[in-house]
Amino acid sequence: MKQVYDKVFNRYWSPYLAMALAGILSAVYFGITGTVWAVTGEFTRLGGHLLEWSGVDISDWAYFQLIHMNGTTFTRTDGWIVWGMFIGALIMILLSNSFKIRVPRQKRRLLQGLAGGFVAGFGARLALGCNLAAFFTGVPQFSLHSWIFIAATAIGTYLGTKLVNTSWWKGKPTLLKGNAAAPSAARKKIQPYVGAVLALAYAALIVYFYAAGKTMLGTAALFGAAFGILIERGQICFTSAFRDLWISGRAAMTKAIFVGMAVSSVATLIIILVNGMDPITKIAAPSTLIGGILFGIGIVMAGGCETGMMYRLMEGQVVFLPVFIGNIAGATALAYAWDHLGIFNAIVKPGKPINLITAMGPAGAIILTLALLAVGFGIAVYWQKNYRFGIGFKKGETKHVH
Amino acid sequence: MSIDFTLDLRGESCPYPVIYTLETLRDLKKGQLLQVITDCPSSFRNVPEEVVKHGYTLEQDPVRNGQEFLFYIRA
Repeated sequence: MKQVYDKVFNRYWSPYLAMALAGILSAVYFGITGTVWAVTGEFTRLGGHLLEWSGVDISDWAYFQLIHMNGTTFTRTDGWIVWGMFIGALIMILLSNSFKIRVPRQKRRLLQGLAGGFVAGFGARLALGCNLAAFFTGVPQFSLHSWIFIAATAIGTYLGTKLVNTSWWKGKPTLLKGNAAAPSAARKKIQPYVGAVLALAYAALIVYFYAAGKTMLGTAALFGAAFGILIERGQICFTSAFRDLWISGRAAMTKAIFVGMAVSSVATLIIILVNGMDPITKIAAPSTLIGGILFGIGIVMAGGCETGMMYRLMEGQVVFLPVFIGNIAGATALAYAWDHLGIFNAIVKPGKPINLITAMGPAGAIILTLALLAVGFGIAVYWQKNYRFGIGFKKGETKHVH
Repeated sequence: MSIDFTLDLRGESCPYPVIYTLETLRDLKKGQLLQVITDCPSSFRNVPEEVVKHGYTLEQDPVRNGQEFLFYIRA
C-alpha cells in the first residue's frame, strides 16, 4: 500500500504515459461533448466578464460573438474544464505534499511573467487556440491550422530563447562557497489530508452535476480534473518541449507530446468514423502563423504556457500569478483588436478552414499525420543526441571530456 | 563529502535552474563538487538529466527534502 502510494504520489509519472492517457481522454471527451480540451477560449470569456462587470458594453465585439458568452463560467463545459484542471492538479499537489509558496528572488521575474503571459494570451487567441486546440487537440482533429501553429511556435520559442538568454533578462544566481545551503526544516505532513478532503468534495460536486441532470457539466468537471491530474503528475510542459531543445537539447517532453498526439489522432479518427462526427476545423490564415510566433515568444518569456501555468500556479509558484493575469489581459486585448483594430479583415479573413480528412480522406489524413509526427519525433531524438548547452551542434568543444 | 560550492536556486522556475546549473558547472574546475538546491518541481527531473547528458556525474542520488530538492554534482 505504502509502495503504491509512493509510486503514484511521491514520484512524477512518465510523461509518455501522461500524454498518451491525455490523448485518449481528449478523444473520448470530444466523442461525448463534440468539443475539444481547450482553455484559452474560456480565459477570453473571463476577460469578457471582467469587462462586463466594469460596465463595458461588449455585446457588439465580434470576437465575443464568435466564442459565445452564454451563461457564466460555472454553467459552461469550457469553464469546468478550466476549474477542473486547477482543482485536479491541486489535489495531486496536496496528496504528494508538494505545495509551497515559491517566491522568485529576482523580482524581474514577475514583470517578465506578466509581459510573457500577455504576449502568449494575445498570440494564442489570434491563432484561435493555444497549445491545446491549435496543437495537442488540433492535430488529432486533422485541422491544418494546428500544423502551421506548431511550426510557428517552434520559430517563436527560438526567438524567445534568444531573449531570455540575454544577461539583463536572465539575471544571475549567487554562487556560495562550501556547503552553504540550509534546507528548510521538515514540517508535519498535513497537505495530503487537505488534498483528500478536497478530492472528496470535488467528487461530490461531480456526482451532484450528474444527479441534477447537468450531465455535460459533470463530464467536463470530471475530464477537467483528469487533465489537471495528468499534466501535473507528468509535469507536462509544452513550453519546455520547444524551449529546452534550443537551450540544452532536452527532448523528453517533445517526444512525449508527439507520442500523445499520435495516440490521440488514432483514437479521434476512430471516434469520428464510428460516431459519424465532423472534426473541428479552425481557420488557417496568416493570423495562425503570426499568432503562433507570438505565442512561442510569450510562453518562453513567461516560463510556461496557458496549460503549464495552471498546475504551476497551484504548486504555489507565485510567478505564475502575473502570467495568468497576463494571459487573460492578452486574450482580451486580442478580442478588442479583432474588429476594432481591423485584425480580422487584415490577416484572418483571407484564410479558410482546411481539414485533412476532407482534403484527402480519412486514410490519407491519418497516414500524413502519423508520418509528420514521426518526422517530428525523429528530429527530437537527433536533437537530444547532438545538441549541447552553449555549444549547439558543434562537436569537440566540451570543456570536460569523460 | 566535501562540497566546494553551493547554488541556492529556491524560488527560481524553469528553465533557470538548468541554465544556472550548467553555466556554473562550466566554470568550475574538473573534480569540484557542486551542491544545487531547488524547489521548482520540474527541476527534480530536468536538472539531473541534463547534468548527466552534458558529461558531469551525480555524486549521489538526488535528495527530496519536503518541497525542496538537493543535487550533488561533480564537475
